Amino acid sequence: MELSEYVQKGFQMLADPGSFDSNAFTLLLRAAFQSLLDAQADEAVLDHPDLKHIDPVVLKHCHTAAATYILEAGKQRADKSTLSTYLEDCKFDRERIELFCTEYQNNKNSLEILLGSIGRSLPHITDVSWRLEYQIKTNQLHKMYRPAYLVTLNVENTDSRSHPEISFSCNMEQLQDILSSRNASNNQNQDH
Amino acid sequence: MLLDLSEEHKEHLAFLPQVDSTVVAEFGRIAVEFLRRGSNPKIYEGAARKLSVSSDTVQHGVEGLTYLLTESSKLMISELDFQDSVFVLGFSEELNKLLLQLYLDNRKEIRTILSELAPDLPSYHSLEWRLDVQLASRSLRQQIKPSVTIKLHLNQNGDHSTKVLQTDPATLLHLVQQLEQALEEMKTNHCRRVVRNIK
Repeated sequence: MELSEYVQKGFQMLADPGSFDSNAFTLLLRAAFQSLLDAQADEAVLDHPDLKHIDPVVLKHCHTAAATYILEAGKQRADKSTLSTYLEDCKFDRERIELFCTEYQNNKNSLEILLGSIGRSLPHITDVSWRLEYQIKTNQLHKMYRPAYLVTLNVENTDSRSHPEISFSCNMEQLQDILSSRNASNNQNQDH
Repeated sequence: MLLDLSEEHKEHLAFLPQVDSTVVAEFGRIAVEFLRRGSNPKIYEGAARKLSVSSDTVQHGVEGLTYLLTESSKLMISELDFQDSVFVLGFSEELNKLLLQLYLDNRKEIRTILSELAPDLPSYHSLEWRLDVQLASRSLRQQIKPSVTIKLHLNQNGDHSTKVLQTDPATLLHLVQQLEQALEEMKTNHCRRVVRNIK
């Protein structure tokens, strides 16, 4: 894992019991995870009375360093030994390493979900609605008498957060056709 | 149900008895061809020269015939009703028979053409699918994320469009279930009763 000097410096400060006592360390660590994973988190996350005595610049630096490291570790799917090695290099003591790893483990799933959801993909189908109608006449053609389906696919776009819909009409045979392709792909899914 | 023919329409059709029955049959053929492909004014001029009448007269005759055929096909009127509707024009027995034959021969095709004129939503053409597994992305390595990519081919007013979409296996299962339910609906008593009784 390649990390910048900025991160390294931040961690070295975090490792120092003189700058951060046990309590402050835990609070900062939790704040870092919270900023990343909690959608509602804002700058007030560092506004804890037990962190007031620390220089705000230092506080921000360490918070940023921790958040950066957590993201990189999550991206690379770092295991405990990789985490420990880096933290040891930054002169963390055993207790702080354990604490970090425990917090990381607790938040690992949420982190991976968050990272996995970032990125571009094709418009994603989320739902389908259908309507069955019996066509009787149009202004061009009377006495039609045929059933037809109107199918609407609800689609989500990851980038624009828009929800366009795709609607199309089809008859019974075509719906059968769609289902047989879908079932085939379903079976392929299950086999693998 | 009888056709309601306007005075103007009757006037246009009045040209038909003045020509040979082969000519009327030819006009009938032209009328259907125009319905299929759109009208071609040059044909009117050629025919007008051959028959020594103005091309307007020929045009009205063909258009009158076209309207007669499309209205009859649209309403799907019975043979008897067609004969009675045409009777008011005062044509000969032979011409009436010819017109009836023209109607019956071309009815199905004209109805198909008319059905394409209805307000149109994109309609289904075909579907292709592909199963993929995402292994990594810029923000997360070592993933196993299955997804199904679908290419939906749609038609609208003659234009072909394609939409490429994706879904995950769980949603796919849900989609299949929903659409199977949709298909099942046609087999219920309610739908069967409606189809049987509305004719």
